[in-house]
Parts: sequence; C-alpha cells; structure tokens
Amino acid sequence: MPPFKDEHILIIAPGSQVTLAQLGLPESFTPARYRFPTRMFPGEKKGEYEPYKIRERRQEIKLATNGSDAPKEDVEMKDEDAPQTQEGTTNTDEPKTESTDEPKTEGADSELDGEKSEANGENSQTVEEIFYEEDVASEEGAIYPMENGRIVDWPCFFALLTHVYNTLSPPFHTPILLIAEPAWSLRDREALTQFVFEKFKTPAFSLMDSALAVCYGYGVSTATVVDVGKDKVDVTAVTDFIVNEHGRGIALEGCGGDYMTDRLLELLGPKGFTREMCEQLKRSNITELLPQGTPLPGTAATARQDGNHPASGGPEGVNQPRAQNGAGENDEDEGVLDVAAIVSSGDTSEFLAQREKEKAGTKKGADASAKPVRLPNSKKEKATFQYQEFVKLEPEEGAPNGPGRFIRQTRDIEVSVERFLAATPKQKTGERLSSGFLEDIATQIHHTILAVPDATKRSDLWDSLIIVGNGSRVKGFTQALLATITQMFVLSPSGTIFTSEIPSNFSTPLHTGGTNTPAPQGMPGPMHHPAGHGVNPLLVAATHSNNTAAPNMPPGTPSMDPTFSHHRSTGHSQTPTSVKTIRPPEYFPEWKEQTATSTTAQNPPGLNGPGGPAAGGTHRGMEEAVFLGAQVASKVIFVIDQGLSKGFMSRVEYNENGPSAIHEYVM
Amino acid sequence: MNPSVPPSAADYGGDEVSAIVLDPGFSTTRAGFAGEDTPKSLIPTYYGKYSFEGQGKLIYGDDIFVTPRPGLSIHNPIGRDGIVDDWDMAEKVWEYSFTSKLTGAKPGNPLLNGLNDIPEGELPAEMEGVESDEKPLADSPLLMSESSWNPTKAREKTIEIAMEKWGTPAFYLARNGVLAAFAAGKASALVVDIGASNISVTPVHDGMILKRGVQHSPLGGDYVSSQIRALFKSNIPQPITITPHYLISSKTAVEAGQPPRAKYKTFPPERAPDASYRTLLEERTLSEFKECVVQVWPGPTKLSATGPNGVPNEEMARSSPGRPFEFPDGYNQVFGVDRYRVVESLFDAKSAIPDPDSALPAPTQAQTVPELIKAALNGVDVDIRAHLLANVVVTGASSLLYGFTDRLNHELMQLYPGPRVRISAPGNTSERRFSSWIGGSILASLGTFHQMWISKKEFDEHGPSIVEKRCK
Repeated sequence: MPPFKDEHILIIAPGSQVTLAQLGLPESFTPARYRFPTRMFPGEKKGEYEPYKIRERRQEIKLATNGSDAPKEDVEMKDEDAPQTQEGTTNTDEPKTESTDEPKTEGADSELDGEKSEANGENSQTVEEIFYEEDVASEEGAIYPMENGRIVDWPCFFALLTHVYNTLSPPFHTPILLIAEPAWSLRDREALTQFVFEKFKTPAFSLMDSALAVCYGYGVSTATVVDVGKDKVDVTAVTDFIVNEHGRGIALEGCGGDYMTDRLLELLGPKGFTREMCEQLKRSNITELLPQGTPLPGTAATARQDGNHPASGGPEGVNQPRAQNGAGENDEDEGVLDVAAIVSSGDTSEFLAQREKEKAGTKKGADASAKPVRLPNSKKEKATFQYQEFVKLEPEEGAPNGPGRFIRQTRDIEVSVERFLAATPKQKTGERLSSGFLEDIATQIHHTILAVPDATKRSDLWDSLIIVGNGSRVKGFTQALLATITQMFVLSPSGTIFTSEIPSNFSTPLHTGGTNTPAPQGMPGPMHHPAGHGVNPLLVAATHSNNTAAPNMPPGTPSMDPTFSHHRSTGHSQTPTSVKTIRPPEYFPEWKEQTATSTTAQNPPGLNGPGGPAAGGTHRGMEEAVFLGAQVASKVIFVIDQGLSKGFMSRVEYNENGPSAIHEYVM
Repeated sequence: MNPSVPPSAADYGGDEVSAIVLDPGFSTTRAGFAGEDTPKSLIPTYYGKYSFEGQGKLIYGDDIFVTPRPGLSIHNPIGRDGIVDDWDMAEKVWEYSFTSKLTGAKPGNPLLNGLNDIPEGELPAEMEGVESDEKPLADSPLLMSESSWNPTKAREKTIEIAMEKWGTPAFYLARNGVLAAFAAGKASALVVDIGASNISVTPVHDGMILKRGVQHSPLGGDYVSSQIRALFKSNIPQPITITPHYLISSKTAVEAGQPPRAKYKTFPPERAPDASYRTLLEERTLSEFKECVVQVWPGPTKLSATGPNGVPNEEMARSSPGRPFEFPDGYNQVFGVDRYRVVESLFDAKSAIPDPDSALPAPTQAQTVPELIKAALNGVDVDIRAHLLANVVVTGASSLLYGFTDRLNHELMQLYPGPRVRISAPGNTSERRFSSWIGGSILASLGTFHQMWISKKEFDEHGPSIVEKRCK
C-alpha cells in the first residue's frame, strides 16, 4: 500500500450541532475548513435525505429554460476563510435570495431524477412544472441525527456523512479519520466502521475519541477534558493518552450551552424575549459570567456610572432603537456580527452603510452625553446586542411565483444586568436540586477524577483541565467553572500540623515536620481565579508525608526534580490541592490567528472604532481544539506511523476481521 | 492480554461476534467484551428512584453520584449476602451495564443503514416486526459470573433472564472465584476476595470450586466504612459528621480540629433527597478516606500486641506520622493511630470499634480473614492444602487497602509456619478490582470454551435446570 499523503486525509468531526470536516492537512494546521450543520431534511422519498430544506413549487412556465443560470448557493457550508474575501466582492445592495433553483450538483440526488422525468413530458409550450428549491434558511422539518452526542437517527446520520463526503469529494486513496463522541457505544462504532468501509470504500479508517483528540491538540498526555456542548457535557480523564472509561462523565444532560439560553429566557422571557433572541444574546459578547462576588453593575457600588439610566432593571424595550446609549456599547457590539452570515445574506454593503450612519449618529450622541470613560462591559448596567432574524419578503410584483426570499434583518436589543446571570440557578430547577449547571459540571469532574484508579495522577488531572466545546465560549465561563470547583472541592490551605506561621513561600526552609518532612511535590502554582485561595505547600507536603523517595532530604532543598512525583509511594494523597487549566499550544499560528481574525472579522474595515475590544477570553477558537487534535493525530497515524502501531484499520484488515475488529484500532 | 495483539483466528473464530462478559457485584457491575483487558463498562449496582411531576423515574450509572434529584432514594437490587433480592431491578441494572456503552440501546434497522439500499425498481423485502423483536443481546453470547454460594433458584432465574429477556444465543454462568484464579493464570488457587459487602475465600482446584471449602463473611469494604463511622462518632476533639458536597453551599478554611464553618443548603422536605442518597454520597467520601488515610497495620503481630522489640505496636503506630484528611465541609484533622484501628478487626475481631448504632453486627473471630482461610483449608482435602497455600490469590477492591497483603502474608505465615505460603496479588489496581471479570474475558475468548456454552436450543429443550448440570 502506498503511503498516504497529507492532502488526501479526510477528517470528519460530528457534533450535535455542527459537523467539522476537512480534506487534506495544510502545512500548518488550521481550524476546520468546512462546517456543516448536523442536520438533514427528509427527502422526497422516504428514507432519503437532503442537506437543505426542499420546497416544492408548481409554476406555469413558457419555456423550460429556467434555472440554468441560477447561482449555486453554498451558504450554510461556510468556508472559514471566505468571509474576508467575499466581503469585498459582494457589494450588491439588493438582498440576495437565499434559495436557488435547480440544477444542483449533489450526487445521487433523488429529486434531480424526479425533475428530469418531470421535464421529459414537456413538449407543449405551457407546462406546469414542479420546481424544487432549496431553502437554506429554513430549519423547518430538519432532523438532527445526533442528540446529546448520541446518534438517534442512523439513516439520517449516514446521509449526513455521505453528504459531507460527497461535498468534499476526496480522491480514491483517502484515509478517513472520524472523531467519535464519548456517548457512542461500541456497537455504534462497529456500525460506523462498516458503513465507512462499505460505502466510501476507503483504504484506511480510524475512529478517535474526541477527548483524546483534544489532548493531541493541546499536546499533553494527561488532562481532564471538559467538553461543553449544546445540551450536554462530557468529562473525561485522560492519563498517558489513555481514556479512562470508568467514571467518565458521558453526555451529562442539561449542562450545556442551552442551560444558559434557558436561564436567559427565564429571566428575559417576561420582557418579551424569544428563545432565539436569548440564544443570540448568549452568543453576543455582552453576555459574561462574572467572577463570584463581583457586584452587578447598577447596584449601589456602581450606580454612579449610570446617570442616564438610574433605575436598574428598567424597561428594556425589545425594539428600542439604538443610539441612546453611549458610544461605548456601539464599538463592542460590532463583535456580535456574524460576518459570514451577513455576507451570505447578501446585504453587506447595505448593512455597512447602515452601521456607518449609526456610528455617526452615536458619535454625536456620545459627544452630547459626554461620557468620560469607556467602561468595560462588566461595569455597564446595560448593553445592546444585535439581533438577527430572517424576515420573509413579500413576493415581488413582477414574479409572484418567484422563489421565497428572505432578508436577514438586524436590530439592536438592549439588555440589563440579566446578561450576567446566565449561569445562575434556574427557578424551574426541574429534576435537579443542584444550584446551577456549573455545580453539576464541577461535581462530575470531581467524580471523574476520583474514579481514576491511579491515585498519583489525580493531582495532575486537577491541574490540567481543558475546557472545550462551543458551549464554553461565553466570556468568563472557564473562570466561573474554576471558581465553582475551587469553592466546592479544593482543599483548604490550613496545613493541619503546621498550622501556625505558614510560610507563604515555597522555598522557605521547612524545619517543622521532624525527620521526614519531605519537600512538597510541586509548585502549587498561582490560582487562576482571584477567589481561589493560595494553596499551602505544607499541606501538599503533609499529604504526601509517606513519601519514601526523599525522607532524608535536607530540609529546604528545593525539590524541583521532575521525576520526584513519580515516586510517591501509593498516592495516598487527597486531591485537589489546586485546580488549573492548561494553556493552549502556541505553535499553530492559524489557531492563534483565529483569535485575531475573529476579532477583525467582527470589526469590518472602516468601522473599526479605536481600540476595539478583544474578543473575550484568551483562546477563542480553541473551543474546537478537537479538530486541531484530529489533524495532529491523522498526520501521526496515517502519514508518519503508517499503521505500524495500529493507528488505523486498513481495508484488508476490515475484509479479514469485520467491523468488530475496529476496537483494536480505536484510538 | 495485550489488546493490541489480535487473537489468532484459530482460537478466536475470525468473524465470530465476541461474547459479552458480565460480572455483577454488590457495589459495582462490570461488563465488557470478551478478549479485552478491562471491562469497558463499570457502573454502580445502586440505582436511584425518584418521582418527577407524578412520574416515577429511575436513574442508573454514575449519574446517581452527580446530580441530586428531588426525593431521590438509592436502592440496590442485590442483598448484603451477594444474592439478588430484586430480580426485576437487577435485570434492569445489568441491562444498563451493557446497553449503555457496549451494545447501544437499540440496534439500528439494517434496512436503513445505507448498506442495504434497494436498487431502483426492486421491492423491499418485508421486514416488519423485526426491530420490535430485537432484544438487547440478540447477537452476543453472554458469560456471567456469580458468587460461589449462589443458590440454584437464583442461577436458574439468571439464565431465564439472559435467554428470554435478553435473547442471548449462548450463555454460561461461572463462579467468580474460578474466574479470579484464571485471571491470575492459575487453575488451582485459594481465592481471597475482599469485596464491598462480603469477603470470601474460595478454594479452586483444576478450575472447579471445592464447595465444602467456600467461606464468606460480611467484613467487606462496607464493614470498614461502618468502622470508620464508629471512629468518627467517638472522635476527639469532636465527633465528625460527614456532610456530602451536595449539602454545602460554601465552606471556609478552618484550622485542623476546629469546627467547620460552612454554609449548608437546605431543601424543602418534600424535595429533599432520601437518607439513602446521603449515605451513598457519604460512602464516596469514606472511600476517599480509605484511599488516602486508612492503612492496615503491617504486622507481623496484631496491633494490640507487642512488637518484636518489646514496644507495643500501638506506640509504634502512634509515632508514625499521621495523615491529614479534609472533609467536604472543610473540617480537617490528622489521623494517627486511628487509621490503623478501623481495619484491624478484619484480622482481630476483638479490636473492632464498638458501635451500637451500626447496621452491621459486631464481628466474630470466625469472620476474620485468617479464620476464614483456616476454615476453608480445613474443608478441603489435606493433599491439596499445600498447593493452595502456595497459590493464594488476593482480589477485590477492598484488598487495595494500603498494607493489606503484607499483613495477610504475616498472618498466614503464623498460621501455617510449615508450608510455603505465597500470595499473588496484582499490583495493578484495575487487575485487582476486576479480576473476576478479566478471568471471564479470558475464558470466553478461549477457543476450547466454545463447547461449554449453553445454547438457546439447549435451553429451550431442557429449561432453566440445565444451568445446574452444565455450569458446575
């Protein structure tokens, strides 16, 4: 078998909402080039699926020459690089239609056949013809084949895989790496293996656990991976590149990003917010999880800033026009824009013009109100975000039967301090008694780490949390989760026997503990979160007092020996003494640039206010680290290793052993 | 057992679907495919029951530890003696153990999986009703383990569930003592299994248990927990109550031995979880305590005795450094000699910490590990005693108590000074915890085992009593 080439590798990472895919590994790894919504629509025939909503429309036409010049739309399949370039080129003022007519180029299209046969009968001048139009904006009738990570509709899921495969149309000699959700059972994996080999005839196939992929992406061997999805959370402890199946938190329901949307809806629903508004509000960058104990703006401590809005929690008009707040919000709001969506909806320049106008307006407003300082979002009592919705246009007069046209409309909505309360406990707690989903996630992390049989690894696991998943994109999520864990589980610093005069510094000579006071195992690093208390190294020392490796170590010897921690006798130590997240790797410029581009992309040229806000956390984009890891892994298993260490299953092996043999290759 | 080396086709039968091995215990239930080195699925045997909006709901798996639910109560379908009490729920819990991670809840309809597309114009074969008849184990043979004292009725009930409810094509019921011996690579061994609710000593000879020698007593991990609770009650400077994390809203760091300063959560009485839930979560803290603090006095003599150099062992224990432990409410303390005392009664019944409130009766000397071993050996033929003593296999999660095997070794040397005593206890935690599952995994993937399966046909012919004839 000839070796595989970088440019032939196909990676697919299905998620409940978005399926990431890419053909070929670039020189330097990039975020996924294709993002497919994980949904299909029932096709004309039962058991068949289409990637877009297909509407049927009957029309009397004179000649059967329609559609040949209709543009092929490719909207929902957003090309990550595209927005910037398209931005310049798309300058039609008229909102482009979101739907196209036939023909389409999708392979194996049933409805293509249907229309052909329909068209065959047209001999006369006037025929009634059925048009099928793709309605990319509609989600009506969509089937989401994955729910909470589980595959609930297999035919639909297979159709989605086929759609992804056909869209990317890989060459013949293409190995496939599929990222497996933790919730997939072993039989599920066998079914997928069988499907991929028999339908795509791939020469090599590998299934990789998503948590492991994240570890590859971060370049660490031991980590606790917390994957926050739409409505579920997976918590996985990975030790030495081995996924600990026992105690793993799989698809913890009701803990994903939807919790925050629901909570916002609960808070704002009485004020006329719809769920979609709350969803967009959550995604906007004015929604933030503040550190515990931070006073909400608008309370007494911060009241002075709100001269023009004295009443906190005042009326938030949903349809309030913009430009009544200061200019500060205005700049930030630009971060909200989904540029790709704007471009695709075609009203870019209109939109730009509008923004320009508003900007001018608010500049004036700002001057008038003469705000002295620009406040950060967390200090402002109110902020606005842009809400986008599809509005169906009335059919144009000339073409009453023309395809349904939609326009993306944006409007500004102002919200008060509710935007900081997305993670607070719901009123309708339903079946849960815990207060808030962060607490559930923290408990699951605790449970998962405690279930790791190798007790010596637990402390490392606490110190290497990786929080991924698009549910965690809300600003401040990581900090809030760390604070919750610290609050609930981190051991307090009181050092039992060494209770008095605790030296805060690690290098202080330790002379209190008698003969076998060992030096602490490692530097308890500074806590990530301001609310976290520093951990007393002496507690670490005391909890490891059975250490046989260094009983005779002279007091005060700085034990920075990296091998030291491997010699703990039985790992008889209570954890966690600290909890930390791992920094994302910095050697993939595209993933870092993702941060940069996402900021610049959100601030279209010409609108960039001075000192536009950076986009939230430190590593936006790394929420999809699973895809980075998938690229690293596929490079390793398909190109470098070439199957020597059984990283993938080849077609020959499949033919010999059948789908169940995949478990010997599953990474 | 290297998972990366595929079994050769000769003893594995190429395209054969691998069997499922199910090892139900009192505390946890293990399930996985035969031929693998650890069970893929490990769930607590406990399940939760609550009602929400008038509907009764059941939760299985790790979820019971994570999220408190209104009125949640925790139950265990298996009795303290290791025999199933509640068959309906045992069936459900076991079924969850393999459907959740191994087989999936429902296999997909093969018609619609894209592999069986019907060419245009052909009529699809009528497949109505196929899916509804699909049983969770329709295509996997099942090997289950059982305790050595499992009564005939329970065994017959087990095969009925497997054959009739799960639809397995082939079934076998193996003694977990035998399987643990297999996992250690021995056909004859004295298996000392320290479980959660029971400790048992099973003499195994040539792959068969010697029934007269089988001994068991309730001094398992749960008994150790009750001892720890007794210790906490009489603790100096103040009695310790364990408050699980879910009841604490915030805690403040306190000095060692100082009363905790935590804010507690309260639930309205109609929504508050049952006491059994609290007990379950307290057990989590206790198992952490067992892992971090508890230690078995290494011997060679009892903790209450005097050491070889004339110093009382208690004094020695007192001089060794204590271990700190912090409770969920922030209370923390260093435990010195007490951490030896809580397990001492596994070897010396007299040193048990008395606790009149405990659900478990005070142990008798006959229930301790050395006495059980003695009784087991007395129950077997004198000729094989030496061989068994040279092959003592220690298994069960509670045997992971720090220093347990050292102490057992000393005790056995004292009981049997003559013959060679050799203890084999895997150092790897998962091998120790899952040894009977691993033995089952080995057994079910052996080519020679294929003739041992009880097939569906045989079951239909002979009824459940076949299990007594075939699974000795």
